[in-house]
Amino acid sequence: MSVTDFFVPRSLDEALSLLAERGSDLLVMGGGTVMMRMVNDGLLFPRQAMSLRRAGLDGVRSANNRVEIGATTSIARLSQLDAVPLLAQAARLFGGPAIRHMATVGGNLFVPQPAGDMAVPLLALDAEVELASVKKRRRARLDAFLAGQSARADDELLTAIHVPVAAGRSAYLRMGRREANTPSIVAVAVRVLTAKDGTCTEARIALGAARLYAMRASQAEAALVGRRLDASSIDEAAQMAMGECDPFTDALASAWYRRKMVGVHVRRALEQVVN
Amino acid sequence: MATITVTFQLNGKTTALAVEPLTTLRTALREHLHLHATKAGCGQGGCGSCTVLVDGEPILSCLLPVALVEGQSVTTLEGIGGPGELHPLQAAFYDHFAAQCGYCTSGMILAAKALLDRNPTPSREEIMEALSGNLCRCTGYLPIIEAIEDAARQMEAVV
Repeated sequence: MSVTDFFVPRSLDEALSLLAERGSDLLVMGGGTVMMRMVNDGLLFPRQAMSLRRAGLDGVRSANNRVEIGATTSIARLSQLDAVPLLAQAARLFGGPAIRHMATVGGNLFVPQPAGDMAVPLLALDAEVELASVKKRRRARLDAFLAGQSARADDELLTAIHVPVAAGRSAYLRMGRREANTPSIVAVAVRVLTAKDGTCTEARIALGAARLYAMRASQAEAALVGRRLDASSIDEAAQMAMGECDPFTDALASAWYRRKMVGVHVRRALEQVVN
Repeated sequence: MATITVTFQLNGKTTALAVEPLTTLRTALREHLHLHATKAGCGQGGCGSCTVLVDGEPILSCLLPVALVEGQSVTTLEGIGGPGELHPLQAAFYDHFAAQCGYCTSGMILAAKALLDRNPTPSREEIMEALSGNLCRCTGYLPIIEAIEDAARQMEAVV
């Protein structure tokens, strides 16, 4: 079985037309780091494939209190993005140097946990995704998109990620079997807004590799609101996060261990934000 | 069998290839162009032995469809120096016993070259970070790091 076509469209319109013509027979690639691995390993046998690398979907623009990140913007580019420090921090810990040049942030949103790191800081930043087809464009909240409630239709492409300019203090931590170039045992992004008296007014606690898709620990978040961030409230939030996640066992770590590491890293991330 | 044509700069020379769609850059280099310095250690992007430079950036050639280097410039180990005229990195790897089986060496040298080209005076931490996508099973990494530190000093001295 061989590949008959490999398309490299030069515009979004061209890419959408190809997708509308060929539908789900067409394998869509961002950076290709996950798809090509599966082709190499004999797990995927595409007949037709399309790379979005030259379709003009990369690039970052700031406007109206939001940062608009093109779907094929590389992780390497994001690691330099001073406008969104939490995202830059996460990007610097992603993969290794070459992978960061090849992998795209939009593509990574389709990668299942535990390798879909970029969804974690984006959830903590209240990001939205933009999807386009030949017929229309729409936006969806990232949490709904990841949970499958607002999933990509067969004729749609993810074109951009919209990130509101973030208030508050944030931190990102990830743990893997090695320091670099390995999927996550657990990834945590937190963002906290506090009033002048130090009480928390808003909290975001996003977890990666703690469920089939990246998630927010909303009960843990609620436990922090209205309280000062101290050892006791942080510990309670960490315990709640451990309870509300639903980790899986894989070759990297057991569910039991992941759950414990959620607790440890939520605590550490919140302590980092306080200090 | 469908074919596509890809034209790119390879080690400074214009090169055109006719390959099946989705052929990786690694396969093109090793099997079509018979340049074997670039190694085939996994196929998953995990080992780094297939690392080459595309427009100066380190890229895992096992994961890149060669069609995507159309119009770009590709550098392999064969392109940076050879017998009689070693690149300072190659000379330093030799001097520091930084290669044992040699399988990781091509990827390590090119990852190091990409680093030194943009940061001629890296710290040890920066060198380690630049190599974080390249695995070595033989040397324990330290001779490789020391070779790169030495090459960086040599290259700065010449400038």
